[in-house]
Amino acid sequence: MSALVFAVPSKGRLMEQTAEFLARSGLKLRKTGHDRGYRGAIEDVAGVEVAFVSASEIVAELNRGHAHLGVTGEDLVRENIANAADRVTFLKPLGFGRADVVVAVPKCWIDVSEVADIAAAAMAFRREHGRPFRVATKYVNITRRFFSSRGFADYRIVESLGATEGTPAAGTADIIVDITTTGATLAANGLKILEDGVILKSEANLVASKTAAWPEETKKTCERLLARLGISAATA
Amino acid sequence: MSPPPPANFEALADQSRTLLSVFIAGGHEAVSPPIIQPAGVFLDVLGEALRGRTYVFSDLDGEELCLRPDLTVPTCRLYLERHPQADRPAHYCYNGPAFRYQPAGADASHPREFRQAGIEAFGATDREDADARTLTLVLLALQQSGLRSSKLRIGDLGLFAALLEGTEMPERWRRRLRHQFWRPDAFRAELRRLTTNPARLSASLPRALIEALNLDDPAQAESLVAAELDKGSIEVFGVRSVTEITEGMLAIAADARAKPLQQSAAALIEDYLEVKAYADQAPARLRALIEKPQGRFAAAIDAFERRSALLNESGVKLSEVPFSGEFGRNVAYYSGFVFEVLALSLGAASPVAGGGRYDGLLRAVGAPRDVPAVGGAIHTERLLAVVGGKA
Repeated sequence: MSALVFAVPSKGRLMEQTAEFLARSGLKLRKTGHDRGYRGAIEDVAGVEVAFVSASEIVAELNRGHAHLGVTGEDLVRENIANAADRVTFLKPLGFGRADVVVAVPKCWIDVSEVADIAAAAMAFRREHGRPFRVATKYVNITRRFFSSRGFADYRIVESLGATEGTPAAGTADIIVDITTTGATLAANGLKILEDGVILKSEANLVASKTAAWPEETKKTCERLLARLGISAATA
Repeated sequence: MSPPPPANFEALADQSRTLLSVFIAGGHEAVSPPIIQPAGVFLDVLGEALRGRTYVFSDLDGEELCLRPDLTVPTCRLYLERHPQADRPAHYCYNGPAFRYQPAGADASHPREFRQAGIEAFGATDREDADARTLTLVLLALQQSGLRSSKLRIGDLGLFAALLEGTEMPERWRRRLRHQFWRPDAFRAELRRLTTNPARLSASLPRALIEALNLDDPAQAESLVAAELDKGSIEVFGVRSVTEITEGMLAIAADARAKPLQQSAAALIEDYLEVKAYADQAPARLRALIEKPQGRFAAAIDAFERRSALLNESGVKLSEVPFSGEFGRNVAYYSGFVFEVLALSLGAASPVAGGGRYDGLLRAVGAPRDVPAVGGAIHTERLLAVVGGKA
C-alpha cells in the first residue's frame, strides 16, 4: 500500500497549532508506536502516515519527495528551495506561525529609510572603510534574491544562526535580514525596519510536494484528507 | 543533475601546451595560483551575486573558502604576494581549472568545471600598447590552436567614464551612475530620477532637519544631526559614525535642492550607450556625439584611435570588428578596453575567449593603489569543441 506521508512539526508551538488546525476539522493526530516516537496517524483518515519532523527538515522532505504533504513556514520554503514553484505547491496559508522577513538597520541611520538609500550609503561606506556593508542573516538566498531585484549589489552576507538582531551593536554586521512578528525585539536592539524592507510576510502553510511519487491510491488519500480540511483538491 | 560530459583530456592537454607556449614566447611567465581561494576576497570584490554561481564552502576551521570561479583574481593575489607594493611590471600566463555553478544545469558549453588558459599584464603604463599586445597574443594563441573563423567584438568602458566626467552634474550623481552602470535597469531608473525629480521623498526622512542643513558647513550639519539623534534618544552604535550619517544627510539635502539633470545630458549618455559601429568608424561616431569633444572624453577617443592603430599594425581588421558603447557592461571590474572572441558555431552566449582592462581590481584585492592591468582568457573546452577535438 502507498501511504500518504504527511510531515508535521515535531515540537513547540508549531506542532500544537498544527494539531489545533486539524482538530477544527475534527481530525486528531495520534502517535503510533511508543510515546516518544516520530511516526503517527490521523484518526478517521486511513492511509495517512504522519511523520513528526523539525520544521526546516519538512522543507527538505517535501523537496526530495520523501513527504507528500507538510506543514511549514513559507520563509523556510523560499529560503531552502531555489525553484520553489517547480518543486512544491502552496495549498493553504494556515494563519499561524506568522513572521515577516525584514531588512533592518540601526535607528541612528536617519539618512537611510529605503533600500535605495542603503545603496547610496554603501558607496560612501566603501570609500571610508574599504569594504562593503555586512548583512547578517540566516536567510542567505532570500536576501540575495531581494537585494538583486532592487539593484543593490555591494554588500556581503555573514551567516548568523541566532541573535541576529544583536550583530550591528556587536560590530559583526551593519545591516540585518531577520524574521520579526511585532518588531519589538528589533526596536529593543536599536534597529528600524526600512519602509520598503518587508521582504516576505510569512506564515505556516500546508504544502504539497511535486517531486514525490503520486500513485492513484496516494492521490485518493490526499483528496479525502483535503476534503475533510475543506481545501479544494485540484491544486494537489 | 546530469554529470558533465567526459572531457577529452589528451586533446585538451595538447591544446594547453600550444596555448602556453604561445603565451610564454610572448613574454609571459607561467604561474599556477591555488584552486582553493578565500571566498571573502571574491565576495568583497565581485559582490554577493557571486555566491549564486560559485562553489562557496566552509572548512573545519570555519573559514569561508571557494573553488576559484576564474583565474584573474587568483593571479592578482599571486602578484601581490610576490610584490606587495605592486611596484613592478609583471606578465603572467596560466592554464588550469575554474569552477562555476550553472543554475540552468551544466552542459558542454557551460560546464561547472572548465579549464581557462590566459594572460595578465600588470603595471604596464602604456595602456593602449598593453591592450593591443594582450588582444594580439590571445588571437595568436587561438589561431595556433587551429581556430580559423571567429568574430571579434570590442568595447571601451574608459569612454563611458570620460563622457560622464565631462557631463555637468554633481560628483555624487556621477558616482551613483558609475555604480549602477553594471545593472542597466537600475541605471536607467537612476538617470530618469535625476532628470525628473532628484529629491528623495521617502516619508520617514526628517524633513525639517533636511531643510535646516547648511550644505557648505559640514560642522553645522553634524551638530544638527547629533541634536536630532539626541532629541529622539536614538543611540549611536555600529561602524558608521555620526560624520558619515551627516554626509548621507547632506547628500539628501543637496538632492532636495538640486535642479534636475538636464535632459540633453541624459540623452547624451543614452546616445553614447547606443553607439554601434565598426571599430574603424567608431571614433568619428563618438566625436559626432558632442559638438566639440574636449578634456577626458576627447583624450579617451584619441586613446581608442591609438590602440586601434596598434591593433591594425598587428593585422586586426578593424573594419570587421563591431564596437558597441554598451559592450563590457556585464563584468563589474572592467575599467577600459574590453573584447570577446566568438566562434560562429557556438553563438553569442558561449564566447571562446574574452578579456579587458581592469585598473581598479588590484587595489580592491589589496594593492596600495590602482595598478594598470589587462588580461584575456580562453575557454579551452569550447575552443577544442570548435576546432574539432570533440571535447
